[in-house]
Amino acid sequence: MENASGNAVKMDQCIDRIFREVLENISSDNLMNSQTRNCLKMCPFSLLMMKIEKIVRIRVVPQFWSKFNNSINKDSKEGFQDFTDSVDELYENSKKFISVIDRLKESISCVHQNCEFKSDQLIKHVRHYIQGTILSQIPLQHTIIIEQFYKTAFNVFCNIEALQQPCDFPTNNELIICEGCKQEKKNCRCQVIVNIFHKTNEKLIDLGLLERLSGSVLTSLIHIRIKNYVFSVSCNSFNQSQIGNLEHWLDTVVMNWLVRIYTGGSSKMAGLPDKFRNAISTFKQKLSYFLYETYTRVRIQQLFNIILIFPDSQPALDDLRVCLKKNDLRKYLISNLQFNVKTRLLHPGVSTPDILTTYISAIKALRQLDPTCTLLEIITDPVKLYLRGREDTVRCVVSGLLNESNANNLANEIMRNKPINQDLSSSNDTAQKDSNNSTQTKKENWENWQPDLIDSENEFDLKPDLKSDLKSSLFGIYSKITPCKAEPNSAVISKNENSDLISMLVNVYGSQDLFVNEYRSLLADRLLSQLDFQTEKEYRQLQLLKERFGEQQLLSCEVMIKDLCDSQNINNNIHNDQTYMSHFKAFDTSALILSAQFWPPFKEDWKLELPAVVQQQLQKYVLAFESFKANRSICWKTHIGNVNLEIETQDRKLTLNVSPIHATIIIHFQDKNEWSLDQLSEVMHVPTTVLRRKIGYWVSQSLLIETSNDVFVLVDKLDPDNSKQFTDLTQNILEDDEDIDSAMASVSDQREEELQIFWSYIVGMLTNLDSMPLERIHQMLKMFASQGTGAVECSLAELRQFLDNKVKDHQLLYSSGLYKLPKS
Amino acid sequence: MKVTIKSWRGVATWRWVANDDNCGICRMPFDAACPDCKIPGDDCPLVWGQCSHCFHIHCIMKWLNSQQTSLLCPMCRQEWKFKE
Repeated sequence: MENASGNAVKMDQCIDRIFREVLENISSDNLMNSQTRNCLKMCPFSLLMMKIEKIVRIRVVPQFWSKFNNSINKDSKEGFQDFTDSVDELYENSKKFISVIDRLKESISCVHQNCEFKSDQLIKHVRHYIQGTILSQIPLQHTIIIEQFYKTAFNVFCNIEALQQPCDFPTNNELIICEGCKQEKKNCRCQVIVNIFHKTNEKLIDLGLLERLSGSVLTSLIHIRIKNYVFSVSCNSFNQSQIGNLEHWLDTVVMNWLVRIYTGGSSKMAGLPDKFRNAISTFKQKLSYFLYETYTRVRIQQLFNIILIFPDSQPALDDLRVCLKKNDLRKYLISNLQFNVKTRLLHPGVSTPDILTTYISAIKALRQLDPTCTLLEIITDPVKLYLRGREDTVRCVVSGLLNESNANNLANEIMRNKPINQDLSSSNDTAQKDSNNSTQTKKENWENWQPDLIDSENEFDLKPDLKSDLKSSLFGIYSKITPCKAEPNSAVISKNENSDLISMLVNVYGSQDLFVNEYRSLLADRLLSQLDFQTEKEYRQLQLLKERFGEQQLLSCEVMIKDLCDSQNINNNIHNDQTYMSHFKAFDTSALILSAQFWPPFKEDWKLELPAVVQQQLQKYVLAFESFKANRSICWKTHIGNVNLEIETQDRKLTLNVSPIHATIIIHFQDKNEWSLDQLSEVMHVPTTVLRRKIGYWVSQSLLIETSNDVFVLVDKLDPDNSKQFTDLTQNILEDDEDIDSAMASVSDQREEELQIFWSYIVGMLTNLDSMPLERIHQMLKMFASQGTGAVECSLAELRQFLDNKVKDHQLLYSSGLYKLPKS
Repeated sequence: MKVTIKSWRGVATWRWVANDDNCGICRMPFDAACPDCKIPGDDCPLVWGQCSHCFHIHCIMKWLNSQQTSLLCPMCRQEWKFKE
């Protein structure tokens, strides 16, 4: 402080000296003639200016900056003080220069009465000079102190604002430290700081340095503030729209502060000159853009979570949609969401139903963000590709469709949506019709046409197998995985297609055949596991699916359901048949009589040999059927069915519903107390591995016990102590196991059987050409084997798997990328 | 221990008792329906000729209706007569 006042005294003396020197110069010119005098009219002022400029350059400005230079280690309080002092000093100095000019003007006007002296101009000049010199000598670290100054002030200001709105920001009154100035409350300096702050700003405005010196610092401070506020507001709450709140906050808190800086304390804009008003309003526009951008970024980062809880996060999604229109963050959204989807969704740790649920939410949510669905396609394509690689996808989709209690509501979806693809009899016809339709729609809305978004350069990268599937995508319109931009009409087509959630799911595989097959398998399982002949629910579902996929595709499913009804009739008829009823009847028999051609293939690796008594009874049923339906016979699938048993041991009586194989096992134990697994396997014609698994059920019921390795003994009397809880424990596990067990051959097994027709071609090829790479084999097969109608299509990946299986079975050799036949 | 079977609900597949698997006219399995039908079995029955060849009834009727002069079995070219 002493130093500063010393400086001030020095400066005063200095200015006085200049003034005197100049005056002397002028007086010595007195005797000159008028011409010279005219020439020199401006001379004293130029002289003065030169002197002043020199002082500004050498003394004032370096002094101003001197405090900024060694500011790195100072805390914010000191910084605040330093900045205030520097600005004060500069302001005082500039005032002194102006007063000197005024004094000179007075002195001269005493000597030369008619002197036209424009002191305004000079003052302006001095100001500009000071501004220019200050900016030209800016030290490197000048922002540190300025930042500290504004930060301190801003903290105080925000704290005051916060205190005024106690409901929004509940403050902790027990704090000893004042939030604003970081001082103890009793000697809070907030008000002092505010006063100093406003004064300093006023001085800066007067000097014309406010924007130059503190503009960038101010902006970055406000940006940080906006960021913090946006984060705090939008953190993990998706169920409220925040745009209004944010705008209000910007309008009140931030703008208020900004106005105060410009006005030097008052919060009213009215008194301001136009220049500042314009500055403020541009500033506001910039800040508002920044606010939106920050908010959009935050929401984009949260987008994956928003999708996960979609219907609840509707407000957040609406916000995002509004925001996306205001800025250009679409690319960021795509890359961010793709990354999130890849790292959080598409890995083996996520179960397929979860992926599907997310996929469905993503479809719904992204469709809201972007009605043209381009965004949707780009984001969900990797998901589709991934789902295609999962074995249980179709099963999950189908069970989702059939299961009304399912969380993802697919069952409701199918009832709500109108079918879009109707006649499938000839794919060529349909393709043509489709393109006709789309041209028509295009003509209708050409005025509303909007260009597709082009931010999808990587679209082609997503479909590496596109070319290999070209044929199938040309002829099967359902495999519409061709990129949007490839065909002129495709925008319209994809819009139609995407509007239907179910088709999007079905199209995960690019074709609906697989989907229909899986549905058939699931339906078969359901029908076979049903104890009654109730088919109304299945029939209703089938009708809905038929509207979507067409009659032809689902014909076999209809026959399956009809088989059930027919079986019931046949059973009733046979039970009314006198000859059948008059025979001795060991037990009630009924049958599900299936049209084998229309059901999916059954797993039949082994044929269960039933106990003799059962066989006799079933044979009687066959005879009754043959007499009822002339020229027809039935063939029992012995391992499927449902048997109601009553088991009486010495101390228990059980009534159980079991499968035929379980029944057969326990019936065998009725005749003989002890069986080894091998013996039993021989009698029942069932592999020991299967048998062991099935016996587990009876062990869990405490009816059998494994005494030594692979030998089971009947437990006729229960040991009362410890067996009960054991029973409860194991039963659940085993019943789960039963559920999974399907009577049908799995889809992949069926597929492999289809591919078997290629095997002879492949063997022929390799015999003639010795060894071939995978691609070549694929090409050849495409050329020769899969021509004509009804040909089996086979993708490269499928072929690879097929060939690898053959390698595993030693039917092929594989080395350095070439397949070869083993030398026999 | 005594095991009593209360009821047995089995699963069976039905088939036509014929001397061939496929219909000689439409080449579809007998157990499936002819190309014009959707539902097999009662709705699309088989008929036997006296020559012991059998076909889907719809297939042979179509064949017989298309014949101008005499009605012959498409397999053995004998005169077609329905087996009673």
